[in-house]
Amino acid sequence: MTSDVRERTLAKRLFSANTLWIALVLLVLIAVFGAIRPDAVLTTFTLQTTLVETSVLLVLSVGMTYVIITSGIDLSVGSVLVFSGVTSAMTMNAMNDGNATDAGWGTVLVGLVVALVSGAAWGLLNGLLVAKTGIPPLIVTLGSFGAALGAGQLISNGSNVSGVPDVLSDNLGTGTWFGIPNLVLLAAVVTGIGALVLATTRFGRYTYAIGSNEEAARRVGIAVTGHLVKVYLLAGTLAGLAGFMALAYFRVASITGHDTDNLNAIAGVVLGGTSLFGGAGSIVGTVLGVFIPAVLRKGFVIVGVNVYWQPIAVAIVLVAAVWFDQSRRRARNQR
Amino acid sequence: MAEPLLDARDLVKHYGSVEALRGASFTAYAGEVVSLIGDNGAGKSTLVKCLSGAEQPDSGTISFDGRTISLPTPTAARALGIETVYQDLAVAPDLDPAANLFLGRELRKPGVLGWLGVLDKKEMRRLATSSFGDLGVTLQSVDVPIGSLSGGQRQSVAVARSVVWASKLVFMDEPTAALGVVQRERVLDVIKRVRDQGMAVVLISHNMPEVLAVSDRVEVLRLGRRVARFRAADTTVEELVGAMTGALSQEDA
Amino acid sequence: MSTRTVALLGAALLLTACGGGGQIGDTGGTGDNKKMVLIPGVAAEPFYISMECGFREAAKAKGYEVDVQAPAKFDSTLQTPIVTGVLANKPGAVLIAPTDDKAMAGPMKQLKDAGIKVVEVDTKLEDTSIAVSTVSSNNEQGGQLAARTLAKLVGEKPGSVLVLNTKAGTSTTDARAKGFEDEIKKFPNLKYVGQQYTDNEPDQAASKLTATLAANPDLIGVFATNLNTGEGAATGLRNAGRTGAVNLVGFDASPKQVQDLRAGAVQALIAQDPATIGRTGVEQAVAALEGGTAERDIETDLVALTKDDMDANEKYFYKQQC
Repeated sequence: MTSDVRERTLAKRLFSANTLWIALVLLVLIAVFGAIRPDAVLTTFTLQTTLVETSVLLVLSVGMTYVIITSGIDLSVGSVLVFSGVTSAMTMNAMNDGNATDAGWGTVLVGLVVALVSGAAWGLLNGLLVAKTGIPPLIVTLGSFGAALGAGQLISNGSNVSGVPDVLSDNLGTGTWFGIPNLVLLAAVVTGIGALVLATTRFGRYTYAIGSNEEAARRVGIAVTGHLVKVYLLAGTLAGLAGFMALAYFRVASITGHDTDNLNAIAGVVLGGTSLFGGAGSIVGTVLGVFIPAVLRKGFVIVGVNVYWQPIAVAIVLVAAVWFDQSRRRARNQR
Repeated sequence: MAEPLLDARDLVKHYGSVEALRGASFTAYAGEVVSLIGDNGAGKSTLVKCLSGAEQPDSGTISFDGRTISLPTPTAARALGIETVYQDLAVAPDLDPAANLFLGRELRKPGVLGWLGVLDKKEMRRLATSSFGDLGVTLQSVDVPIGSLSGGQRQSVAVARSVVWASKLVFMDEPTAALGVVQRERVLDVIKRVRDQGMAVVLISHNMPEVLAVSDRVEVLRLGRRVARFRAADTTVEELVGAMTGALSQEDA
Repeated sequence: MSTRTVALLGAALLLTACGGGGQIGDTGGTGDNKKMVLIPGVAAEPFYISMECGFREAAKAKGYEVDVQAPAKFDSTLQTPIVTGVLANKPGAVLIAPTDDKAMAGPMKQLKDAGIKVVEVDTKLEDTSIAVSTVSSNNEQGGQLAARTLAKLVGEKPGSVLVLNTKAGTSTTDARAKGFEDEIKKFPNLKYVGQQYTDNEPDQAASKLTATLAANPDLIGVFATNLNTGEGAATGLRNAGRTGAVNLVGFDASPKQVQDLRAGAVQALIAQDPATIGRTGVEQAVAALEGGTAERDIETDLVALTKDDMDANEKYFYKQQC
C-alpha cells in the first residue's frame, strides 16, 4: 500500500505553486527595474534601504499572517503600533524629565517592555472579544482600530511624541552589523521565528486547522477559544514591537503617519498567497508579498515612472493574486 | 451476547420546545455492527451527539463497560475509546491527510524540540501511510490538502481517523452517503474489519440494503424513541421500513 | 472567512476611510452676538493650537466670549456635525478652516443663512460668496520662499532637487509644490527632478527619498511640503547617511520640527504665522459684526527659519499650548 502514497519533495513543499508564482513576480520586477537602471537598482544602497524601509511592515505582517490564517482579520495593527509608540516614547520621556534623547539603555529597555505590553493588551482585548463573544473579527478590530488610535491621541494630546533616546535610534534605527542594518536583523529574526512556529509546531498546525474548519478543530478537542486569543495576542504584541521599531527608525512616535499600515500589512499577506478565507498561507509568502509593493514603489521612483501609476500597479497585482487564489480554490472545491 | 458495551436508557433531549429524544434507549455490544435507523427527524443524529459527548441529554442514563458515565465533551468520549465520524465531514480541508489523521493528537519530536512544540511530521506521515494502508484507503499522496481529494477519499480519511483512534466504539453517521460504488465497498470493508478487531460499530444509514448487508443487529428509532430491534439475519427491508413508519412495533423495544 | 465577511470588510474599509468619532458642539441656546467660535481643521495640531492662541487673545481683548470646537481628524465628515452643532448655538461669528473646499460649502452656507458671520482661516472654500473674509498664508509664496531658501543653503554647487508632497489633490500642499517648482527654475545650478506623492505616510516619504537618491546620487536638496513628509525625509536621509549633505527644507514649525532644525536633521523650515491668522480673523469678524467692512482676502506672511537665525525668530515657533 505504501507505494501508492508518495511524498512530495522538500522543495515542492517549500514552494507550493502559489509561493513560487509570487516569488517569480518579485524576481521579474527586480529584473525589469534592474535592466532599466542597473546602476541605481542593483546596488547595496538600494538593497539596504529597501530592507530597512520594509522591516516595520514585515513585523506587522507576520502577526497578520497568523490572524488571517485563522480566517480572521486585524484592522487594528496600525493603530496599535501608534498607541505602543506613544506610550513607549512618553514613558521614556517621563523617566528622563520630559526628554529622553540622552537617556541610557535602561530607559530603552523599559520603553521596549512598555511597547510590547501596550501591544499585547490590545491584542488580548481583540482576542477575547473575537474568541469569546463571537463578534466578527472585522468588527472587533475595526473598533480597536479607532479606539487604539483615539487612546494614543488622548495620551499624547494629539501630537507626535519626540524625545526618542539617541542610543535607541543610533543602534536599532540606523546601526548596522557587518553591513546588515540592525532593524533588518531584528525583523528577520522575528520573521524567522514566526515562520518556524507556523510551519513546524503544534501551535502553527492548530492555527491552520482552526482557519480551515473551526468546527472540526473543536470536535477533535483543540481549545479553539484559547488558541484564537493567543493568535490575536501575538499580532498585538508584534504590533507593539513594530511601534518600538518605528520609534527607533523615525525618532518620533507619529500619530497620523500609520493610517494605512493595516491595509498595507493585509495586502502583503494576501499577495503572499495567504487566503482571506483562512486555512492556507505561509510566512515565506508574506515576506515576498510585503516586498512586492515596496519594490514597485522604489522601482517606479528610480526609473522615473509617473507617480500616479504606482498605486494602480500595486492594486492590479493585489487583485490578480486574490483572484488567482480564489480560482484555485474553486477548482479544488468542484471535485 | 454478554454484557452490552454501551447501554443508554430513557434519554430525553429538548431543543427549546422541540422534543428530539423522548425516552430513547440504545444498546451496542463489543464486536458487532449495529445499525441505527429511522426516518428523518426520528432523533438519530441527536442520539449520536448525546452518546459521543457533543450534546448532553436532559435526562436518562448512559452506561459504558458496565459503569454509569456522563459525557460532558467529545474529549471525554474519546478518552473512553469512543470516536465519531460526523455526517458533515469534520476534516480540515486545507490540511493533508496525515495532519487530519493526527489532528488534536499530534506527535511531537523527542527532546527539546518537542518540548517547544515542534511536530514530528515525518513520523506522523509514516504512521498515517501505514494506517491508510491497513484500512485499504488509497491516496495519491499523504501531503496534499485533503480538500483537493475526491469526496470519497476525504470520507475515507474521516472514517480512517475515527477507526485508528477508537479502541471500543465508533459512531458513523452516514459514512457512505457521498461515495461511489467502489469507495462504498471500501468503507463497508473497513467497518467489518473494525468489528472483527472486537470493537463496536454503530452505523447510521438510510440505505436499507447496505444496513442489512453489513449489520449484525438493527435498532429502529421513531419519534425520539426506540421502537424495534432486529437481528439483521432474520429481518427484511420491508420489516425495517414498517418499523420506521410506525406500521410495525415491538412491545419490548 | 465567508463571502459575507469579505463584503463586510469592504464596507468597513469604506467606514475607516471616512473616519470615526468626532464631536458635536453644544446645542440649544439662543443667539449671542458677543460670542465667537473657532473651528480648526483638526484638534491638537500645533499649527491650529497657535492659531487658537491668537484667536482667544484677540477675541477676549475685544470683549467676546470664545469657544473652540475641533474635529478629531482633518475630515469633512467629522467637521460637518461640529458646524451644525455650532449653528444651533447661534454665535455672532464663526472662524473656520474648512477641511474640504466643496463638501463644507453646504454646512457653512447654513451658518451664513442663520446670520452668522463666517471668516475662513488657513483654508478656504471654492465658493467665495459664503465667507466675509479669508485669512490665510500664501502657500504658493511659501513654496517660492522654500526654493529661495534652498538655493541659498546650497550656494553655487550643482545638483538635483526633489519635492516630497503629501496626497495628490491637497490644495495647500499642491500650491507649495507649485510655488517651489516655479521658483527653483530660476537657479540654473539646481536640476528639478519632480515631485513624489507619499500619501502623507512617513515611511513612504523615506522610501521615495532613498529611491531618488539611488537614481540621482547628486541630490542636493529636498523640499518636504508638510510635517509627515518632512519626518519621513529626515529618516530617509539619516538611513542613507546623507543628513546635512542633502539640504532638507520642511514646512511648518511644530516643536518637533524646531528641535530637528536645531539638531541639524532639517536645514530650514518655512513657518506660517498661525497666531496672526487667528488674530486677523477675529479683527475681520469684529468688523463685519460691528458695522465695519471686512477685507475679503488677507494673506499673512511666511518666514524661513534656518539654524542660524532661528533664535531671533522664536515667535514663529508653533505652540503645543497657549
